[in-house]
Amino acid sequence: MSYLHLKVPPTRDTRLRPCNAYGGSLCNLVDGQKTGCLSANGRSFTQATGCQLTLSMGMAASIPNTVVIYHGPVGCGAGSLALSGQSKESQLARGNDDAVGRVWMSTNLSEVDIVSGGEKKLEAAILEAERRFRPHAIFIGNTCVPAIIGDDIDNVATRLQHRVNARIIPLHCEGFKTRFVATAYDIVYHGILRYLLNGERDREPILRDEAAQIAYEQRAKRTVNLLNVGSMGYVDEVELVRLLNAIGLEANVYPCFTSPEKFVKVKDAALSISICATHDDYFVEHLKEHYGVPYVLNTIPIGTDNVRLWLLDVADFFGLREEALKVIAVEEAELNKALAPLKKAFEGKTAFVSTGEIRAGAQACMLENDLGMKVVGIRAHHYDEFGEIVFESFKGREDVAINVAANQPFEQVNLIDRLKPDVFLGHGNSNVWAAKQGVPTLPIYGPNNSYLGYKGVFEVATRLERILANPNWYNTLGETVELPYKKSWYEQDPYAYIRQDGEAA
Amino acid sequence: MGAFIEKPRFTCPLGGALATVGALPRAVAVLHASQGCGGNSIGAIMQGAGHTGSGYCGGASIPTSAIGEQQIVFGGAARLEEQLESTLEVVDAELLVVISGCTAEIIGDDIEAVLRNYRAAGGGRPPLIHASGAGFKGNSYFGYDSVLKSLFRDYVVPNPSKKKGKVNLWGLPPALDVFWEGNLIELRRVLEGIGLTVNTFFTKRDTLVELKNAADAELNIVVSPVNGVAAAEVFKEVHGVDHLVTDLPIGAKATANFVREVAQRLTLDQARVESFLAAEKASYYHFFNRISDSYADLDFQRYLVIVADTTYAVALSRFAQHELGWVTSLVAVTDPTDPEDRPSVLRRFEGGLPDPERTVAFETDTSQVSARLFERWPKPDGSRYYRPFSPAFVIGSRLDKDFADSIGAGHLSVSYPISNRFVLNRGYAGYTGALHLVEDVFSVLVAKR
Repeated sequence: MSYLHLKVPPTRDTRLRPCNAYGGSLCNLVDGQKTGCLSANGRSFTQATGCQLTLSMGMAASIPNTVVIYHGPVGCGAGSLALSGQSKESQLARGNDDAVGRVWMSTNLSEVDIVSGGEKKLEAAILEAERRFRPHAIFIGNTCVPAIIGDDIDNVATRLQHRVNARIIPLHCEGFKTRFVATAYDIVYHGILRYLLNGERDREPILRDEAAQIAYEQRAKRTVNLLNVGSMGYVDEVELVRLLNAIGLEANVYPCFTSPEKFVKVKDAALSISICATHDDYFVEHLKEHYGVPYVLNTIPIGTDNVRLWLLDVADFFGLREEALKVIAVEEAELNKALAPLKKAFEGKTAFVSTGEIRAGAQACMLENDLGMKVVGIRAHHYDEFGEIVFESFKGREDVAINVAANQPFEQVNLIDRLKPDVFLGHGNSNVWAAKQGVPTLPIYGPNNSYLGYKGVFEVATRLERILANPNWYNTLGETVELPYKKSWYEQDPYAYIRQDGEAA
Repeated sequence: MGAFIEKPRFTCPLGGALATVGALPRAVAVLHASQGCGGNSIGAIMQGAGHTGSGYCGGASIPTSAIGEQQIVFGGAARLEEQLESTLEVVDAELLVVISGCTAEIIGDDIEAVLRNYRAAGGGRPPLIHASGAGFKGNSYFGYDSVLKSLFRDYVVPNPSKKKGKVNLWGLPPALDVFWEGNLIELRRVLEGIGLTVNTFFTKRDTLVELKNAADAELNIVVSPVNGVAAAEVFKEVHGVDHLVTDLPIGAKATANFVREVAQRLTLDQARVESFLAAEKASYYHFFNRISDSYADLDFQRYLVIVADTTYAVALSRFAQHELGWVTSLVAVTDPTDPEDRPSVLRRFEGGLPDPERTVAFETDTSQVSARLFERWPKPDGSRYYRPFSPAFVIGSRLDKDFADSIGAGHLSVSYPISNRFVLNRGYAGYTGALHLVEDVFSVLVAKR
């Protein structure tokens, strides 16, 4: 599927034809996705979501020694204002003592620039970024406005490249171009593939003597790329690397939090390991096609079932199934012993899960199979062909509400009001709406906590037990806060505003 | 206007407008913009502003028309109309404010026509107004003024009769002034202390009814030399109410000046005013002077760097000079100022700084604050008797923490953005606010004890 010759990769809308608005049974969702008939669904009432710019640039900004330039009016990228400290912490956690956190600029386009073009300002920003920060790479994030007025950021990048040492990477992440925020992953990977891995500026390993070269190649045969687009905290990286080490593999983590000059080694690895197809399918497929690096991307290692599936996928590639099964047996036995005293807290408890499709499916599975809870609802930001495998265990379960929505709290509150779960596990910006209904919440991912691997199962279990031990804060919130929805809304079908004519977002 | 900016300390008009509408009781913003404009803004408004939270219908709940490629080609007015109708069905609002973003304004959607149709439909619908939030028109300060202007023009009911002793007070943009609500509450308390009736629009006690009936005020008070001034002009033009543009008062001295200025303007009974001020002053210094033992024994005077927008820069300079007795070496003004306006901004610092021309720098770029300091203070030159910039303190935003660390200075986030503190009803204005500021600043100095 190579798209690397293109300046702008296709959006998810056209490449995968996912669904972003659905409510009903899993069966109809899976079938509908296959026929493509759900991809036109929209809503006649919609609420604020993210855009591909925010996610693209968030991902780019996590890469150390880079500057991100938002080419647009001054508000694009304002989310960075809340995150400057956190980016630095994430870099420090990975042993980067010189971490400076997120460095960003805005070309601050004005009304005059709308008429006369904004390329000059972009040029000035690039040159000044180079002078002030001497970064390894400069990411340019193109926004809605310059895309509409026709600024040519690729041309600016080409024109200035010989004047700056940093690799200039133009990213076409204009918000209006896609309904699927996940397109952002493709955009950033596209930039990395086109500008950091490809071309004369690659920093190939320094010439080695024959013995060293053989040693390097031998090592590369057991070295894998472990992909993290920012949803894995450092503790999760450590856990997955531990498991890979346990079956005799070495792992390097890309692209977030890894300095750009290290990217060249991506091409030498024996295998790329994705923890989420929503993140990485575009990247791993291109790595395979252009550099012959195969990949696995079936599932996310959340919950013992999916950890097993994930680790065996990897092991089978290297012919290490026996080793992996031994590791799994030991790990599961130890984990189950640790989980046993916690399980009482989850007896008869119901849960609602809301996040990206892969994580949502796997987390729901973990809550039922590892903790013995009952899942009453699953919401996925979108649904595409990669969802089927993680939703496998919910097939035929008519008792589980399935909703596809990027945030859209109005649908969520309606569902929560009906299903009254004991706990809600959700993505940032959606938890609070369940909390305001008095439902205890556990963030379903986060940079400082453990979710993946065996450690993740235990950590999520202990955190859930703690949250259920005293729900008073949530109860009080539910009693004292007013939600913005009309009473009549709760009596309506939660999916009343989903329609199938492709008109709305 | 303006070149590129490195780490701008504000967002776009849409972000400012969202924060402003979100701070009005039971008002709901409807974005007519690209799908991500809301999501992009809410982090800046919520976590960036002392974790102010999603409020009534903020965060991921903001109704949004989510303009895509199709609307950019064929127009988005119909989509906005549909979104307004469905919003009425789902959301419980007492006032709806359409905030238009870049894409809607570039493609030229006729939003006024949509508004006319909505209003024509009648039938007990909540009032609907429109505020421009296009990013290329300015920054979030502009968004604050944009919403206020629309409110004053299209929501406040004209009333030729004026009520003696009734004032409206604004000038502190929600979120951009992280302490807006605490500040408004304190300034209202002070003005009520001299017998005024005060409408502040954005606090829990305020209601939309009072906002609607704001036209019978005797005077509008704008506690910022820049923010809300354009809206005050509109108020005057539409409702014939004069305004007093003054500075944000922090501390007993500044607040007494503020109160006297207002009292003089409204020709209030001087004896009553002075007796109120005397009581407030006594109570204030009763607490303020508790720092005296540590200040004297531990030498708690500091060289100070202030990094803040115009409103706070002026207010903090005065407070540091006249109340803390600190030595301010640099004031970095971080909101964009037109070069033509700079002399008048500098004049605001007179009386608050011994040498404003030398001390004040107009600097929007975060990493350059350090450079501005070392233009004013010699860099280490290896000499034995180099005079270090110490002991020092930085009152700025969260973005200035690294700079403070780099010069070994204490640091407190007071200006926007503040992601490293929670702010609830805390304010820094007036008497109570100043005492909070003293608590927070001096707590940093003793944090390790």
